[in-house]
Amino acid sequence: MTDAAPPRRAKLELLVRRDGDETGFDLRTVGSAAAWVKMRPQRVPSDHFELAEVTSRVDRQASFILKNTQTERFLMLSEPERFLWDQMDGRASVQDIATAYVLRYGQFDFDMIPGLIKKLQRAQLLSLTPASRLRYALARHRERRLLRAAEATLTALERVNISSRRVQPFFHGAYRWGGGLLFTPVALVVCLVLAVVGLVAGVKLWREADVAAGFGASPLLAILTVKLLFLFTLAAHQIVHGLALVHYGRRVREFGFTFLHGFLPTFYVDVTDIFMASRRARVVTAVSGTLVHLVFGSLWFMLALRAPHGGFVQAFAAASGMLQWQAFVLALYPFCFVEMDGYHVLVDVLGVPTLKHDAMAYVKSLFSGGRAPVSRREAGLWIGYVVLSVVSIAAFLVFNVWVVIHATR
Amino acid sequence: MAATADIAAFLKSVKLFREFTDSELLAFAARLDERTLKQGQVLFREGDPGEEMFVVQKGTTIISKVVSGRVEQVLARATAGDFFGEMSLFDRSPRSATIQAETDVALLVLDREHLNLLIEVNPRAAAAFFHSLVYVFIERLRASGELVAEITRWGLEATGLDMESR
Repeated sequence: MTDAAPPRRAKLELLVRRDGDETGFDLRTVGSAAAWVKMRPQRVPSDHFELAEVTSRVDRQASFILKNTQTERFLMLSEPERFLWDQMDGRASVQDIATAYVLRYGQFDFDMIPGLIKKLQRAQLLSLTPASRLRYALARHRERRLLRAAEATLTALERVNISSRRVQPFFHGAYRWGGGLLFTPVALVVCLVLAVVGLVAGVKLWREADVAAGFGASPLLAILTVKLLFLFTLAAHQIVHGLALVHYGRRVREFGFTFLHGFLPTFYVDVTDIFMASRRARVVTAVSGTLVHLVFGSLWFMLALRAPHGGFVQAFAAASGMLQWQAFVLALYPFCFVEMDGYHVLVDVLGVPTLKHDAMAYVKSLFSGGRAPVSRREAGLWIGYVVLSVVSIAAFLVFNVWVVIHATR
Repeated sequence: MAATADIAAFLKSVKLFREFTDSELLAFAARLDERTLKQGQVLFREGDPGEEMFVVQKGTTIISKVVSGRVEQVLARATAGDFFGEMSLFDRSPRSATIQAETDVALLVLDREHLNLLIEVNPRAAAAFFHSLVYVFIERLRASGELVAEITRWGLEATGLDMESR
């Protein structure tokens, strides 16, 4: 007897008309699986359920009893299932939840999430929200011209996605033809030396150079050019992430360009396969990409120091170096409410994959008076994260204002 | 413009006209108009009034129906030998779907006047035409049933809804 082939996943073919174009359209085939991983499961309101912990007297394993107070139905959850239940707040997609699970437990059972969702649906403990909150809010207020325009703009930008899923051979080749050298002790030493030299050059420039004067009559154009050039180094950042995956024997699933959140131009690489590797591999993968900005920043500062004093080249190189180092710090610094490389390292080390969500929810509950019961350690962590992030963002803004004032003085 | 003989030769390969004799096809082809669409051009939109049906001679058209805003569901594609637009021709209701050229397209146009003439002048050919039309409708009903099932399955899979154990 042979196993029957799994049923083919259903697909929809949609025709999406281009805005303001009578005849232009795009054809998109949407698989049900793609829609499923983007789904944001949401548990019923907190007054509709009760959760109690029970510990087995035999193996001392903790289990949880979840009761739907509306229907009087009960469910038994294991500890990992309870973790998944906690993630189902309507904001995290199934994909996010799976990622959080892997970060927490270091492994993944592919049947667990669909199985739990079915179980919760049967017990009427779940409602389903299919779209992002921002898009939902915009869609609800389409009668306002400004919001309609914002929605149309976001939609248009979100459509810009130039990507490929057949990139593994490229990354494999790049690793073989020199990319692998980036993951050697020599590369680390070179990086450290460059960081020190770059720092010295940066300090000298800070004291001696007149960057604003170097840009001459068109500083805005110069700054825009610096930003455009910076965009390409983001590609290098992502490529190094991909090379790290190859270094640890994992697969790069996708590489591309898109507008993050519909407005932020960026390159991206799918590094999810690294979740199956060791914690060290995950940390190296996260950090290696950011080092690109450290190295480029140092090189720019060194060039600026050697360039003619007060000239355009010096100003351009100094501004580029500053931008690269800011990017390095921002990418690696975890306390800024942005889930970048440093944040992922932090949550991995702490073993708290939903740190930002949990911290924000806890602090919000402090202000609304409905404080959720958490341990003192957790409360300290949540408050610490939010306070540090707020202070860091304020300091970052003040620093930038100060830099602009210093440069234009 | 294609010669009448060429159109008749083409119609011979179309399911709707397979019961026609050569002379009937020649006479019928002489009464058909021709129309071309450039890639992307819309022939008609859902809700438009319509008095004609079309046979695709060359190229591919997309048949779609509005779902929401600028999003439409692709119901089917019509390629050489397929026809569409007959619903409005018969029941005089507005167009039920939008037709847009996916490639450059050549069409043959049959309007109500020509159809009535066919019925009056050649009732045997008209009967053959309607007989074939019934078979095509049956095929389309089956395809519509399949599409409904596919969309339902998509919805269940995309939301993870487990209906079997409810």
